[in-house]
Amino acid sequence: MIKAIFYKEWIKTKWYLLLALLVSLGFSAYAMLRISRVCSLKGAEHLWVVMMQRDAIFVELLQYVPLILGLVFAIVQFVPEMHHRSFKLTLHLPMRATSALASMLSFGMSMMVLVCVPALLLMWVYLQSVLAPELYWHILLSAMPWYLAGMAAYLLTAWVALEPTWGRRVLNLVLGVLLLRIYFLAPSPEAYNDFLPLLAIITLCYSILSVLSLTRFRDGRQD
Amino acid sequence: MENIIECRNLTHYYGKRLIYDNLSFGVPRGRILGLLGKNGTGKTTTINILSGFLQPRSGECYILGEKIGNMNPLTRRKIGLLIEGHVQYQFMNIEQIERFYASFYPNWKREAYYELMSRLKVAPHQRINRMSCGQRSQVALGLILAQDPEVLVLDDFSLGLDPGYRRLFVDYMREYAKAEDKTVFLTSHIIQDMERLVDDCIVMDYGKILVQMPVEELLGKFRRYTAQVSEGFRMQDTDGIYTPSVIRQTLELFSMLPEAEVRARLSLQGVADVQVEKVGLEDAFIGLTGKY
Repeated sequence: MIKAIFYKEWIKTKWYLLLALLVSLGFSAYAMLRISRVCSLKGAEHLWVVMMQRDAIFVELLQYVPLILGLVFAIVQFVPEMHHRSFKLTLHLPMRATSALASMLSFGMSMMVLVCVPALLLMWVYLQSVLAPELYWHILLSAMPWYLAGMAAYLLTAWVALEPTWGRRVLNLVLGVLLLRIYFLAPSPEAYNDFLPLLAIITLCYSILSVLSLTRFRDGRQD
Repeated sequence: MENIIECRNLTHYYGKRLIYDNLSFGVPRGRILGLLGKNGTGKTTTINILSGFLQPRSGECYILGEKIGNMNPLTRRKIGLLIEGHVQYQFMNIEQIERFYASFYPNWKREAYYELMSRLKVAPHQRINRMSCGQRSQVALGLILAQDPEVLVLDDFSLGLDPGYRRLFVDYMREYAKAEDKTVFLTSHIIQDMERLVDDCIVMDYGKILVQMPVEELLGKFRRYTAQVSEGFRMQDTDGIYTPSVIRQTLELFSMLPEAEVRARLSLQGVADVQVEKVGLEDAFIGLTGKY
């Protein structure tokens, strides 16, 4: 049954996933290209100096990319379910409603990982060739909250999209924006390092919010 | 007879507006029951409660002996649900949707689905959102037939369908339900369709059930009475007489009482020369609920 749910989600999102993967890889590749240009024009030493003296990480343009990808992914996945309230079809399937929702969210989170990991891998592979381990980990760890923000954006948008009433949806949206601010509070690189494991756990906890929307949907809440 | 669907003392409000109070009904095994009512009387509310998408303010509903709120998910294999407007996953095509649902139902009847699909003039890869409402209704019906449930809950199955598709749907459903001893609970705005399809009917008015009986019995008893009356005539309220009205000095009323009794009651009010006629289900519905 879970396989069937994954099949449904795949049909819904496959073209978007391809696009998201290309966008994610494209932005990472572009960021690496910029670093490569600096290296070829001014040498890797200059890059090291700038990174250490000015706290630059050269991948700032990636900051909101995972967030936007996660947000749009949840829209692509969950808005068709709410169109004509066809989510009822999913909830009428012979499986627990929470299992159906968990399967949908698991698919989404797996796909988000699939979209984000190649981009991180691309950066890791390239940066190893020009930077010392301390420096490339400095960049990757600084970017990590942005990728967690992508996961959070996905889960929070799912919560908003599955909410059956507009009033509550707007409230959820405002709360969602405030929660997403957490991922962008500290502008300096590696500011979140100690907080990253907890941030990852908090991010996963956002999946529980969708269960609230599910319960309200099943109770027949409407405008 | 064993009730496959049973609702007891349902009360529901939207905000402060009472939809119904203490509504109770049952659907015995193998019967097709149609819920008739004007807009806003609670037909879709009842379907939503029965399909577990609405929590009533009070009261309880059971399908196949299980309380709806605590139903074992696997019991839903035995319940076919048609959502108003023949809603299906719009992003799938007819092959994908069949493959998807087949995974959930061990007794899936693929042939029944594709037999119906062969009537549709659609390409196998045409997505459902590019189909007409009639074609979508056939997809929804085909999926229900393939699921082969014991109980079917159909919400406004005729919505958006032209007469050909409506007739196709009704004939298929009737033949299927009778041949396989299925229990069906349905609503529709098109009462002629109900007349062809249902065994029993519930006619609802705002907040209450007006009539619950076999259609045959209702049509056997229900009569329309007309008579010419003088200007300014006002019919006095009397039990068993439904929706009396006077239009251009013609009195019209409906009743299930014996004809002689209605004539006697009208005679007491000075009405003579009364015409009486049998009515179909649509006129019986109008006779019971009035013309707004």
